[in-house]
Amino acid sequence: MMRDDTSIDISTSLEAGDEQAKTREEAGGFLRSLLNKNLRVTTTDSRMFMGSFKCTDTESNIVLQDTYEYRQPSLQALQKQVEEAVGAAAAATIKADMTSRFLGLVVVPGNHIVKMELDEFVSQMRK
Amino acid sequence: MTEDESIVSEEFVGLSLNTINYNLNQDDRPPPPIMHSEGVVSTDITQRFRAACATLEPGELVKDGHFTLFESVGALEIMDLKMDSGCLAPGELLDDDYDVTRPLLPSEVLGIIDQLLCLEMAWHLGYPLSQTILTSMYIEAMLVPSPTSLEEADFIKNHPDDAPRDTMHTVLRAYCLGLVKSCWYVNDRIKGEHYYEEEDFVTNTYRRSLLFDVGLYEVRDEITEARRVLHSIRSQIPNEIGLALDFRLELRTAFLRAIELSELRSNPESLSLPWTQMKAIWEPIDKSRHLGTPVPGAFSTKIQRRLASTMPPRPIVQLSFEETSGHFRRLFTDGAEVLKVLNSSDPQSLLNFVFAFQAQKPQPLVYIRALLQFFMFKDMVILGHLSIKNVMDNDLAIVVLPCSRLLDPANDAVEAPHDPRFAIAHQVETFRHRAAQSYLDIFRALCQNRCRVRRTLCHSIQDWEMVQADAEEIDQLLQVQLDEQPIIYQTALAWAGSEPAYSLPLSSWAYLYKLRLMEWIVQLGFELETYQPDELAGMYWYLSYLAKTRAQHVERIKAFTVQRMTDLRARSQPGPYGSFTPAMEAEFTRSLAYLRATILDAAVTWELADGLCCLYTVLARLRLVVAPGTGKQPLEERPYGSDALRYDIRMKPFAAVGLPELPAFDSFARASAQPGVATSSLLEYAHRAVAGARKGYDALAKLPDRDAFTVGCHDRWAARTKNSLRSVIAASIAIAALQKALARPRDGDVAASLAANSALAATDVVPQAVADRLGLSATVPKPDDAYHEWWIVPKVVETKAPPKHQFS
Repeated sequence: MMRDDTSIDISTSLEAGDEQAKTREEAGGFLRSLLNKNLRVTTTDSRMFMGSFKCTDTESNIVLQDTYEYRQPSLQALQKQVEEAVGAAAAATIKADMTSRFLGLVVVPGNHIVKMELDEFVSQMRK
Repeated sequence: MTEDESIVSEEFVGLSLNTINYNLNQDDRPPPPIMHSEGVVSTDITQRFRAACATLEPGELVKDGHFTLFESVGALEIMDLKMDSGCLAPGELLDDDYDVTRPLLPSEVLGIIDQLLCLEMAWHLGYPLSQTILTSMYIEAMLVPSPTSLEEADFIKNHPDDAPRDTMHTVLRAYCLGLVKSCWYVNDRIKGEHYYEEEDFVTNTYRRSLLFDVGLYEVRDEITEARRVLHSIRSQIPNEIGLALDFRLELRTAFLRAIELSELRSNPESLSLPWTQMKAIWEPIDKSRHLGTPVPGAFSTKIQRRLASTMPPRPIVQLSFEETSGHFRRLFTDGAEVLKVLNSSDPQSLLNFVFAFQAQKPQPLVYIRALLQFFMFKDMVILGHLSIKNVMDNDLAIVVLPCSRLLDPANDAVEAPHDPRFAIAHQVETFRHRAAQSYLDIFRALCQNRCRVRRTLCHSIQDWEMVQADAEEIDQLLQVQLDEQPIIYQTALAWAGSEPAYSLPLSSWAYLYKLRLMEWIVQLGFELETYQPDELAGMYWYLSYLAKTRAQHVERIKAFTVQRMTDLRARSQPGPYGSFTPAMEAEFTRSLAYLRATILDAAVTWELADGLCCLYTVLARLRLVVAPGTGKQPLEERPYGSDALRYDIRMKPFAAVGLPELPAFDSFARASAQPGVATSSLLEYAHRAVAGARKGYDALAKLPDRDAFTVGCHDRWAARTKNSLRSVIAASIAIAALQKALARPRDGDVAASLAANSALAATDVVPQAVADRLGLSATVPKPDDAYHEWWIVPKVVETKAPPKHQFS
């Protein structure tokens, strides 16, 4: 089993064939360790998709299952919430809800991905 | 047995049950995960992930073992414009900038309501809510978040209680409440009956509650209140706009009333009041449609992104008001008409009602068809007051068993197991159980769209085949109990066995239904343009074969019924038992009237089909009707397939039926093409057949509703009969035109060829050169252009001056 803190230095391991094979093994191991974990994938249009990781390929195209889409509140909605907050003379920080929507099985093409995050329960993390 | 039953039931499962599952799935979805939680840590793995992926070979995948690539085909591709409904074009905003709280002019409210009317009709016609009513900003604002009370059902949220609501907002809100509530009822009714999801109708509500939690009466009162408020400000708004708005609100009240009353299934006259009211209100609504000011901003496809759907927004379905108006008129007429089904006095009238009602062009809307099913089958109480047993016994009494001991209700009360009546009650009950589903399925199937009717009937005949076989076993048990003596019978059709035969009433009944279904399948084939022009001769021959079989079968039933009546009369003695009472006389008379009408119907079908078969055969010989795509090529040169293979496909539904046996291709081909019979004889024969059909239809048209078994639907039935009569006349005109053209003196080779063709040793098809010089052309009309969609009568016209004049 792959340990979470293993780091891979790609630039040096590309040198020798052995090294390369080893790196590839490690990379594959890392990706496999992510399978069925919850990923948050942010796309170029700043939406975020949260779902369980099922599949990937060399171009980082990602298949997520049971995915929810989260969208930053629209400008109008944000403005409205600001107005309401001001009206209520509330706290200094304004909390705006992201709108969410269930999508199910999705493919996020690698070229549209700007960020990937791994969600883990603190209780299940290995330090 | 079970396998074929399952085919039929699958056919019905395919209708609506799937949707229920679908909706369940929707509700089973996991709740959206919480974005930020103390117990969850997110780590950025972007770089590492990309680097790791880069080491994979092209085409190499890292995937979960349980995840198949097959599944991934169904995945939505994010950022793909066609698939990803959340994908915005550059600069596009997620929402439209429309303020539902803005003040509205009366003409704008009218414009919005009229647009909603068009959208409502589009939904009735089968478009999803997402492209119709749920594109309204006002309705979206009203339904989100889902209102739990009347007060919450408003597009202006958090309306202060003390501030009076703007009148125009009150009117629009009341209208929307009425609209959405009636949509809920319509949707619910359709979902409760058999229909084809997405083919007939889309019941998906995209998780919008459609005011489930708001009461019908609350909505009604709100509309009444809005009308009162509207009335109070009538001096401030243009009079005609005020009236126009009021009519629209009244329409909503009437619609809700019609829905409410339809639950009752009582006296059709009182139930039809709101429908006739709507019909009347529609006229001023239609006349005032130009008064409204359209508010296009109040409708948006972007709302679809918020619905529980993964479809990218699709355009709003835009019917013109004129189109909408036509459909609404039809809806209101049909709504009042369909109630008349409750007047059906007997099962045969009911069957004729359903058949004639559904055969209308265009077919009634899905909602009306659902209402018809609801009236017939709700809670398995037929038409609101009859048990299935009651209906079946009545049907059996009409068709095969008038005044029969088999159907005596007293049999059920006999408790002594040795009494034959005890056994009879048991056997007949077994039969009812066996046949009930197949019997009711006929009525249910006829309520579907026309293509499905045909398809379902194709399965049903396999089912009836089995019912007939099982019924025959029961018949044999019953004839022992009844101590029935076989008789030698003679019928008008000179088709009588010399062997004594038993009456076999139950299987006779099943066989008659099977034959009717088989005829309907062929006739629906004509209606649905299933057959190519060159196949019409053969299919009309098969129809005439089926109709002839039915006529003979009914003659057989009649022979036994008459025999039984004579016996009962002869044995009649004065006294409370054993006498032939007027009631019995009436029941026999009714049954014989049914048998007579059925024989007549079968006979005209057989004659006219026979005539058309001959007519088409002649047209094929003269190359006036050829297979499509073959142009002027001879029929047999179709590059792929053969007539025999085509016959196998066409007749597939009938191949499994044992009686009447499907003719082998050779005998079918011989019977329809009739080689060796001269063309002139064929035309002569066709002429006689059609003349016979005409007499038959004349007689049929004269039958009163009681004798035609069309109580409650006589007008519609009579109109269909009249259309058949028109087809008969058209056929005789076509035959006469051919006879006249062929009798005309011709020059040289044409004359010789025609003479050869007329001779007994006819070569089947005339040479192309001869066909070209006949100066005739034939057109095969579309079913909708024909007088009757079951009788595709070709039109024969002379295209050029006859050769005689050319050469003289």
